Amino acid sequence: MRRLRAVWMRLRGLFFGWQQDGEFAAELDSHLTMHTEDGIRAGLSPEAARRQALIQLGGAETTRQAYREQRTLPWLENLLRDVRYALRGFCRNPVFAITAIATLALGIGATTAVFSVVDRILFRSLPYAHDDRLVSVGLVQSLEKQEFTLGGFFYEWRDNQKPFTSMTFERGLNACNLTEANPVHLQCARVAQTFLPTFGISPELGRNFLPEEDLPNGPKVALISDGLWMSRFNRDPNVLNKTIDLDGHPVRIVGVLSKDFEMPRLQPTDIVLPATMDVAAQHTVNSGIGFPMWAFARLKPGVSIAEAKAEMEPLYRHTQQWIPAEFRKEFLLQIRSIRDRQMQDAYTAAWVLLGAVLAVLMISCANVASLFSARGAARARELAVRSALGASRGRLISQTLTEALVLSVAGAAAGCLLSEGLLRVFIAIAPTGIPFLATARLDLRIILFTVLVSRFCAGLCGIVPALERPRATALVARSTNAGTHVRLRRGLVATQIAISVVLLSSGNLLVKSFRNLEQQNLGMQTHNVITVQVSLNPARYRTGQAFMDFYHRAEASLRRLPGVTAVGMSDSLPPDDNSWHGGMRYADIFVAGKPRTPVGTGGPVISRLVTPDYFRALQIPIVEGRGFAEEDRNASGDFIVVSKKLAERLFPRGDAIGQHIQFANYNPYFVLDGPVFTVVGVAANVKNAGLAGEDEPELYQLRSNHHPESWNGHCIILIETALPVSVVASWVRSQIAQIDPIVPVEIDALTQSVNRLADRPRFETALLGFFALCGLLMAVIGLYGVIAFVAAQRTQEIGVRMALGATRMDILRLIAGEGVRLIVLGGVIGLGAALAAAQLLKSLLFHVGTHDPASFIAVILLLVVVTLAATLIPARAAMETDPMTALRVE
Amino acid sequence: MTEKTDVWQGTLTLMVLKTLEAIGTMHGYGLARRIEQTSGDLLQLNYGTLYPALLKLEQEGYIRSRWGVSENNRRAKYYELTKAGQRRVHKAAAEWEKTTEILARFLAPAEEA
Repeated sequence: MRRLRAVWMRLRGLFFGWQQDGEFAAELDSHLTMHTEDGIRAGLSPEAARRQALIQLGGAETTRQAYREQRTLPWLENLLRDVRYALRGFCRNPVFAITAIATLALGIGATTAVFSVVDRILFRSLPYAHDDRLVSVGLVQSLEKQEFTLGGFFYEWRDNQKPFTSMTFERGLNACNLTEANPVHLQCARVAQTFLPTFGISPELGRNFLPEEDLPNGPKVALISDGLWMSRFNRDPNVLNKTIDLDGHPVRIVGVLSKDFEMPRLQPTDIVLPATMDVAAQHTVNSGIGFPMWAFARLKPGVSIAEAKAEMEPLYRHTQQWIPAEFRKEFLLQIRSIRDRQMQDAYTAAWVLLGAVLAVLMISCANVASLFSARGAARARELAVRSALGASRGRLISQTLTEALVLSVAGAAAGCLLSEGLLRVFIAIAPTGIPFLATARLDLRIILFTVLVSRFCAGLCGIVPALERPRATALVARSTNAGTHVRLRRGLVATQIAISVVLLSSGNLLVKSFRNLEQQNLGMQTHNVITVQVSLNPARYRTGQAFMDFYHRAEASLRRLPGVTAVGMSDSLPPDDNSWHGGMRYADIFVAGKPRTPVGTGGPVISRLVTPDYFRALQIPIVEGRGFAEEDRNASGDFIVVSKKLAERLFPRGDAIGQHIQFANYNPYFVLDGPVFTVVGVAANVKNAGLAGEDEPELYQLRSNHHPESWNGHCIILIETALPVSVVASWVRSQIAQIDPIVPVEIDALTQSVNRLADRPRFETALLGFFALCGLLMAVIGLYGVIAFVAAQRTQEIGVRMALGATRMDILRLIAGEGVRLIVLGGVIGLGAALAAAQLLKSLLFHVGTHDPASFIAVILLLVVVTLAATLIPARAAMETDPMTALRVE
Repeated sequence: MTEKTDVWQGTLTLMVLKTLEAIGTMHGYGLARRIEQTSGDLLQLNYGTLYPALLKLEQEGYIRSRWGVSENNRRAKYYELTKAGQRRVHKAAAEWEKTTEILARFLAPAEEA
């Protein structure tokens, strides 16, 4: 306590010292006066008495110094002095300070912003207890690559598994309505009673479901989300046991979920209800395989995911009996961490971004270190003088460190502002596919990260020049000799060049890949096509017939619009493979008169239900036979058009037209009882598995009028028109409103929605490109700085050389050669690293080889041009040196 | 001239506290003289070292100071013990006695050991 008080007093002394200093002067004065008077009384002369007093005091100045050191904290005082000194120095040389701060701000700002984005994807723990032990368990197959499971499997797994401490499931989201005063449309999730305990989630208020509440016909209870608690109940703590009306049924609230609650598949959820599964019925419902669900489990301590999978495999094979034999082999067991399940392929992109931005940070740190080193060299004499006057090595180092610290604090502050701005830009331009981006914030952890980074920079920048001992020679040398300085800085610059080669070539590969993605031939037209989607409420449109009538009327009235050349309809649209579309297995297609394809081969086939004008509206060419005709819609037959790719596989002899096709049905066992389709044409291939995916075989079924049951809410109307969307949209709305005035209508240009598919690569490319340019810019600044400095250092030498007969070209060669060596060294190292880095980018690249020679040559060319410019400018300046002036330089 | 001893490290504080306890309130110069006298003029006290020591004691809250007028009508800064200071004197004195006692055992004639 006493010590603390003393430190506090001394801290105060630091700031109110001038007051105390005056007081002590008075005290000392009174001391000396009294002592002198005593001396005079003892018989000394006044002078002798005063001298005696001073001697016994031990010197007035020494006393004052000792007093001051006790009064304040000397190290803090030194620090403040160093800070003041540093600030004064920066003011004298603002270019240095501004360059250093800008470089640091860019490095720190970009790092912080990107870290904020990737933090949640890569590092932050999920809002579950021991989230690293949680896994998602399920089946995958060619048509569904996100693991899911079925009631028929789950209970057998749960009861016989060994690797998990518990297994649970959720049954996905349902739209639900709060049907009381102020009805609201909500999302309800259904989960098992074991769901919350398995995830280690405890409700903020109230309790989890009881086992009896999870039984069919059990008491109806619900957990509500924090958001709903806030918006609907204004955080009323008495909400527990309140009864709400959910879709017309009274449901009792038993708990409130905490604010950070999220479903493992990240669906936005308002209410969580018990799944109330009828366990016994799972082998009878849904063709005997049970209802679909998503299973999660908690690994036992010490069990890895691979071990868990190995242990689950026999159990899975046992349950395979429930899958119809025909496609049993297509299903595989998949177990992966919840984080993997959530992040999907955002991982690679996040690592690449983080890598890029760390590279930029390294360049910026190297740059600042290099700046400091240059400054250190220029000040070698000053340091030597201070050292000779008694400044300790530690004092000199701490002073240099203080300068670095001041700079890095300023840089960090500027960087924080910059990162806030950058983060906003990221969020604004980012596509929806990157998880958590929209909620990314600069939080305390990230600020801490920045501070650490800046401390690291300060350490690096400060230590490097301070390590060099001021030599006594610096005092006497006519010009400062900065050999080690220069060597160090050359190393730093070569490193910077190498890192920028890596950044530039990675950026270039991504740009090229993105250009390929954008400019590829989709196999259909996207310009001049407008898509119209109408959400028909199944409560009002109860039958397929009702849907069909609505769409037929809509089609007819849209056709009457001026400027509309075609109106087609389809249940789905290429090229997006993530949006809903129909599909089947290749092996389920049966050609009349041909042997059956072996089971489990062939992969998926995309199928669409279309009207005849679909091909016209999208301008998909029919390469063989004919497309659907309007009269086919009313004809009694069932017609089909296959894509070229499918035709080549089904009919390798090129005799597709007129063949008959049937599709397998499973209810639950294989039957061939569906309609027989006649192939009338072969359409050209269309990009149908995402922009970057390989084309899948595709078939088109005619949406004919004698199958009203095939009509439902999945219907997209395609309008081909040369008029702009803005004009057509209002006409479309009024036409639809005449048929049904209360349905919501969504209108979009097809180019827009296709464009959106490229958002993600566009985002990645833009960011990496930005960082690559930042890196290059900073490397060029660094190179310029070193060459200019070397040239300045050697002014005298240049003068001597010129006096001895060196031509100006010799001087240019001398100075530029220095830069060229660095460029070559950095370039070669960088190229090697870039080739390695390209391997990591592989999964992000589209139709670009990782060793694409053109990309690398372009990068090298750019680098050579820019860095040579940075070298030649100071080299030219050296060339212009007047030998007389140069020789007179002190 | 008799040989004088330097002030041992750390003992000056105790001397100051003890002197202040004895005479109540005093200025820096008076304290210095008093300490010399008390030591029987055996101590070589550098008066200048007294002031940082006083300041430290004041910062720690053991003594307080105020300006007053000396017996010769000079303005001077007077120091006195605080309550904490009084407690401190007793504690420090006890500690010191213990220390000297221990040292005394080392210095005692060999036959006693």
